[in-house]
Amino acid sequence: MSLGMTLPAEPLPQPRAGVAVSVVDARRVEPLLNRHAASRLHFGSEFCETLLPSPVQLRSVIAGAGRRGVGLTLATPMVSDAGLRRLRQLLPLLPAGAEVVGNDWGTLALLHREYPHLHAVAGRLLCKMVKDPRLPSAEWARLYPHGVHSTPFRGLLARLGVRRIELDAPPFADAADFRSPDFAVSVHAPYGYSVKGRACRIGSLNQPDGEKFMTGHRCRRECLTYAATLSRPEHGAADLATFQRGNTVFYRHSPAMAEAVQAAVSQGWIDRIIVSGDWNEDRRAGQ
Amino acid sequence: MKIVAPVSRPEDVAPLAEAGADEFYCGIVPRDWTERFRSSGVNRRIFGNLSTYEELAAVADQAHARGCTVSLVLNAQHYAEEHMAALLELSERFAGLGGDALIVGDVGLLALLADEGPRLRLHASSLLSCRNSEAASLYAALGVRRVVFPRDVTLAEMADVIAANPGIEFEAFVLNDGCVFEEGTCHTIHLPGRLGGPICLDRYASAYARSDDRALSEDEAAALAANDARYEEWLWYRFSCGFSTTESGHPFGPCGLCAMPAMAEAGMTAVKIAGREGPLPRKLKSVEMVRSVRDAMADGDAVEFARGIRNRPDLCDSGYMCYYREVLSPGTVALPADRPDCPTTVRSI
Repeated sequence: MSLGMTLPAEPLPQPRAGVAVSVVDARRVEPLLNRHAASRLHFGSEFCETLLPSPVQLRSVIAGAGRRGVGLTLATPMVSDAGLRRLRQLLPLLPAGAEVVGNDWGTLALLHREYPHLHAVAGRLLCKMVKDPRLPSAEWARLYPHGVHSTPFRGLLARLGVRRIELDAPPFADAADFRSPDFAVSVHAPYGYSVKGRACRIGSLNQPDGEKFMTGHRCRRECLTYAATLSRPEHGAADLATFQRGNTVFYRHSPAMAEAVQAAVSQGWIDRIIVSGDWNEDRRAGQ
Repeated sequence: MKIVAPVSRPEDVAPLAEAGADEFYCGIVPRDWTERFRSSGVNRRIFGNLSTYEELAAVADQAHARGCTVSLVLNAQHYAEEHMAALLELSERFAGLGGDALIVGDVGLLALLADEGPRLRLHASSLLSCRNSEAASLYAALGVRRVVFPRDVTLAEMADVIAANPGIEFEAFVLNDGCVFEEGTCHTIHLPGRLGGPICLDRYASAYARSDDRALSEDEAAALAANDARYEEWLWYRFSCGFSTTESGHPFGPCGLCAMPAMAEAGMTAVKIAGREGPLPRKLKSVEMVRSVRDAMADGDAVEFARGIRNRPDLCDSGYMCYYREVLSPGTVALPADRPDCPTTVRSI
């Protein structure tokens, strides 16, 4: 079976936005930095605390980013207290001025209180928009306007010292979706995420039947090896291209969505594009 | 531990209180909201809501008459700027009707209610994905009096969070909510069935490939297919064993009944029964089950009692019906070779 995809079909926005490359697997940092002309490395998983790097891995990545002169962002997922303990081992390793993406309110609170020398970023799990790859028309999206730009939400982020937010391009995106009065805006491209679970389908592959799909189950990080395209034979003719990597369902931007991102970049509303490095459907990404 | 039960009509209150419910929660989609916003998105559910303020007042009155409290859910995945004033207004109105608490799923709305809202208790909805002690502490600092844990948190994780936050209450799911993904990180819509329904119930086909571009070996393909077959089986259990009940009407999983003693030991304040949109008989049977386990906790081995309550040990032993599978000893988990049939299939639940 093939994923039927090599490189992103849609051109990535170029002018006036910095480019970061996102990498989850520490082993793929070097080849992906070689492949992409990025000024920033966006390292780590936003979706699974099992994929938090070890201190050894993070030290190596910090050193690699320093050698290349690229900025460093550590992406973090939603975490349990055990995950927070692991984060407390990682955060002191980061140089002052490094960014940390929090996808958990507890992480943002911790960063604000104990690590003010790091730059807190609100991740796309916290910046909520309707991002259903099955939506049949823009009318559906208009019924559920985004929450990320509401005054009280922005106020809370400001109280937590957040200066940057990360967004996806939602289906039927409009350039104005990315316009924030308070925060610098990064946008992931060319993939958005729709939904994630904690029980992991592919992560259960090598577990005994009785331990599959269990909250907090063990895994062998099978998500680093396999991805799946998803299709809906009954209803999905007009769906955005959809796939699952690890515990998360993603969609690929349509040409119209890519145009909306491009327009927002041109307006200066997006100042950074985070290009998906290895966490996507691109089979050649890690090579 | 208190039993928190759903209501969707004022008539639900009396029988559910009689059955053992201590607290109620409900949603409302009033006409002024739908006229203003052209959507029913006051909360997460399209169905199972009250539709008038008179019904909301009746729920509050009847609950209070029986010594129970009422919480109103404001737990849409998120709210936009244009919703905020209307939600403040709705909250004030609920307070005026005698409401007790708001269950809030949007962190911005939570902050707004804490600053400008009525003097109601604030409960952090499971939509706020509280998985750690720092998040609970932040919500407490925002004025939250109770945190509702999301479903995908282990008993040990909950115990850690509760121990680290003695100043607030906690609530955990115990029956009936079948989401496969995490509500707080779900950015999809429960579409009508003709468009696929909720994404976790939608019929997706999967095609795997390796990220290193090598072809899947026969062994890999077979292992992936076997894993997917188990996944399909898990979905069947996760959605109440094919949306079925016992012959006496007790709904099958998702279920955390046998975890109640551990929850109580950890200091859990309340257990939540999901399913506002379900019919009253299902809610009644659910409250009866939870109450009987709570009663058994005072008498003896409530874990075994809970496992026997549906008289289907084979389904319990699968572990796939559980919210908190860690209660089962690893050696006792036994999936049947074939998916079992259930005695009653009730699609309407």
